[in-house]
Amino acid sequence: MESTSSSDPTDLLLEALEADGGPNVELRYHSKRTRSVSVENGRVDQARLAEHAGVGVRVQAAGIYGFASTASLEVGAIRAAVEDARAAAVASAESGKGSGETRALPPADLAQGCFSEPGFEELQAKPIEDRLEWVLAIEARTRAASASIQSAVCRYAEVFEEKGIVTSDGAKAWTRLVRPEFATSAVAAKDGEIQRGARSVGSTGAWDCLFRRADPEQYSEEAAAMAVNLLRAGHVEGGRKRVILSPSLVGLLTHEAIGHTVEADFVAAGSCAQGRMGQQVASELVTLCDSGASEYLPGAGGTLAVDDEGVLAGRTEIIRAGILTSYLHDRRSAAEFGVPPTGNARAWEYDDAPLIRMRNTYIEPGASSLEEMIAATEDGLLLDGPKNGQADANGEFMFGTLQAWPIKRGVRGELLRGTNISGTAFDVLRSVTAVGGEFEWDLGSGHCGKGQPMKVDAGGPWLACEVLVGGQVQ
Amino acid sequence: MSTRTQAERARFDGRVAEQREGRHAQALLSEALEAGAGEAEVVAQGSETMAVRFEGEELKLSSADSGSALGLRVFDDKRMGFSSTNQVGPEARQRAAMGALGLARCSPQDGANVLPVHAAVTREVDACDDQLSALGVADIVALARDLVARTLAIDPRLRLDSSEVSLRRGAGAVHSSAGVAASASSTSLSLSLFGMAVDGEDVGGFDYWGGHALNLEAFEGLATESITRFSDAALGNLGAQSSESYTGPVLFSPSAFMDVFVQPLVAAASAIAVQRGRSSLKGKLGQTIATSEFNLLDDPTDRRLMGLGAFDREGTPTQPFKIIQDGVLQAYLYNGYAAAVDGVRSTGHAAGGARSVPGLGAHGLSVAPGDGGSAKDMLGHLDRGLLVGRFSGSVDPASGDFSGVAKSGRWVEAGEIVRPVRETLFGGNLFDLLPQILRLSSEAEGVMGAAFSPWAMVDGVAVTAG
Repeated sequence: MESTSSSDPTDLLLEALEADGGPNVELRYHSKRTRSVSVENGRVDQARLAEHAGVGVRVQAAGIYGFASTASLEVGAIRAAVEDARAAAVASAESGKGSGETRALPPADLAQGCFSEPGFEELQAKPIEDRLEWVLAIEARTRAASASIQSAVCRYAEVFEEKGIVTSDGAKAWTRLVRPEFATSAVAAKDGEIQRGARSVGSTGAWDCLFRRADPEQYSEEAAAMAVNLLRAGHVEGGRKRVILSPSLVGLLTHEAIGHTVEADFVAAGSCAQGRMGQQVASELVTLCDSGASEYLPGAGGTLAVDDEGVLAGRTEIIRAGILTSYLHDRRSAAEFGVPPTGNARAWEYDDAPLIRMRNTYIEPGASSLEEMIAATEDGLLLDGPKNGQADANGEFMFGTLQAWPIKRGVRGELLRGTNISGTAFDVLRSVTAVGGEFEWDLGSGHCGKGQPMKVDAGGPWLACEVLVGGQVQ
Repeated sequence: MSTRTQAERARFDGRVAEQREGRHAQALLSEALEAGAGEAEVVAQGSETMAVRFEGEELKLSSADSGSALGLRVFDDKRMGFSSTNQVGPEARQRAAMGALGLARCSPQDGANVLPVHAAVTREVDACDDQLSALGVADIVALARDLVARTLAIDPRLRLDSSEVSLRRGAGAVHSSAGVAASASSTSLSLSLFGMAVDGEDVGGFDYWGGHALNLEAFEGLATESITRFSDAALGNLGAQSSESYTGPVLFSPSAFMDVFVQPLVAAASAIAVQRGRSSLKGKLGQTIATSEFNLLDDPTDRRLMGLGAFDREGTPTQPFKIIQDGVLQAYLYNGYAAAVDGVRSTGHAAGGARSVPGLGAHGLSVAPGDGGSAKDMLGHLDRGLLVGRFSGSVDPASGDFSGVAKSGRWVEAGEIVRPVRETLFGGNLFDLLPQILRLSSEAEGVMGAAFSPWAMVDGVAVTAG
């Protein structure tokens, strides 16, 4: 299963499309090949090669989308899947109050040609044996960092994705990219106390992007040190506080607190962003975007040139200088809202239908330095290290942090344990008083969950704002 | 891969499907052994799915799909490699066999890299329903339309972000060179409701409900329960206000209790977590770790739960398994690998699908009810404090520290709900708090088809309000 990349299937897809001859058909060949290794305490838990490939078919008939898929890249099988998808749509319309009309797919800036992100061939050429040896060495290094370390884990994965997208109204695109991920963690214990430290990175591209900020050895040292140092760290005192969020947490904030509430399907259902277009929803210091490209620094983990409806995936300004300016759309929601699609239709695998999903979501850098932001904080916290997060329809969000430092009268204090923070999205953005000048993508190792998992990235600069901080843990 | 369309496919026959997956598994097993693997194990899974998704009142997507997955684990001189594919042809089988074997040959030796000792599967599980075997897309659409209409008819303020009904019919087989040859098939209907209530400018927090059913009668019951639970929670979230900070008793719904306490506790009872020094339950076997009222069972025979089955991911037979009895830790959970490390037999807790190496996990968790009365009676025991409907946060199963937001939370005074709350965080350490469970309700409730749990009142929780 090594080095079996696909060849451009778009001509074959076009043949199937022309043989069918029907309107409103999307064909998406999607090959996903994964190479992953995971080691804990010197033992190989995962040494895995996986392939999952096939053609997803979506047909709009009688006003309803039908979906089907086939694992076979043969014209006959693809045509059968088209018939399945069409039959599902028609059966659905006949059984109830569908519009009964087949509507043309809404207009879009459709992609044509080959779109290849850097790093695909470079990583594919590296044997998995080398990766395994390297992961074993990093895990051993993490475990040996301190006598307090009880357990260490190191994981590495490469996901090679190739897609061919052909639609009956003119898209014909072939895309290739690779997304490597690296994660290391350590569990330290002393006097009955157990603490965990973790570092992870993910990118789109080769290792020059993945390890741009630090090399694997440094991440190993940071994870081990975090676990050990947290053993003697105190607890955060809860309450509403001024905080300085690290770029990774700014990424979580943009993704969880804002990004989900402006996905057009969620807006249509009544999210807190509904009816707010053109309103001041954030400090004038805040410009917030979602992009298929990787602005400021290359290799963001959610990078894609073409979305899964064949639409070119450009940059969308969601908030410009505090004003809400756009939602995130697929083709259908764009037509319903009367705006152009933003290239946010994404499917996890070939047998998943596309949903509206984020790509790389970020706040644009400002003018402040971190030192200035700390000096300007009378009583607050500096927070770093993302854990999980979740957003709500009313804009209320929460996410976890791995580490915290108190700030008193402009001076940063000793390390405290991480906690969870919460707030209401637009209230928090309105409370922003400073935006840092240094930019980082720092959420590339995570996945977003919305029915299907999805690789996204998020980031930004350091950000000063006000949130609710979880209280002391007993 | 078949090129027949959905309309041409015959009604689902579980036995035929099991035989097909068994042939796929055996073919890949033979390929691996012929390629030189010392030991090998294959899991084959095939399924057909029909799903209907609504957004609001509008039917957005109707899908009719089928697919396969093969997972191959090989051991070569105590070295392990794994590969998976969704292709079932000879070329794909050969790539999978050579890929797994190549990985094994570059992996380090590990004495626990052996297949679990073969044990015959003696329990039969009939999870195929005649009616579900014959349903078509139009039937699923009708069920989904009814679900949406009944939900939205309850109150005009309700909004459904999405709702889905899906029918899954599938079979799986595990074959290994150690003599395992087990197979199973099932049909099930699932539903989900996700949305909120909106009243003018007031957007309530979202909630969701759902589960799965093995027949149409059970589905009707599930639909009725889901509609009630979803609409009660969503409407109850309107008008949320801030609450109060305190440390003391908190009332957890079955869902929140599972997320904050039970699931992380089971993760800590994983033998692998214990063996690798990342479990606070290490050395606690036979010790009291919770209040004496707390009893936790993993029950793969419970037909109400999705974990129903006669064998685990490695083909080892499963059975009801006591994890906590009268507050005392009874046993750790083992899969084949963990069992080999400790020199014991697997407890049948290999988990996962065909696309990854077997993991370790429970099948169908069930917390026994207590004597605290109904959910309303439980409220009566809370003079002043927080009710947590859902948990949105994180738990570290190693340390037991948890922290998160109370979703669908309510503020309770004198045993009555007085208002919904917003921006209310709570935290603690589950291992410290398990002995502080004050009460469990007298009835356990289903949690999304995955578990059963009573309501739980737990003391000592730190609540931080905005």
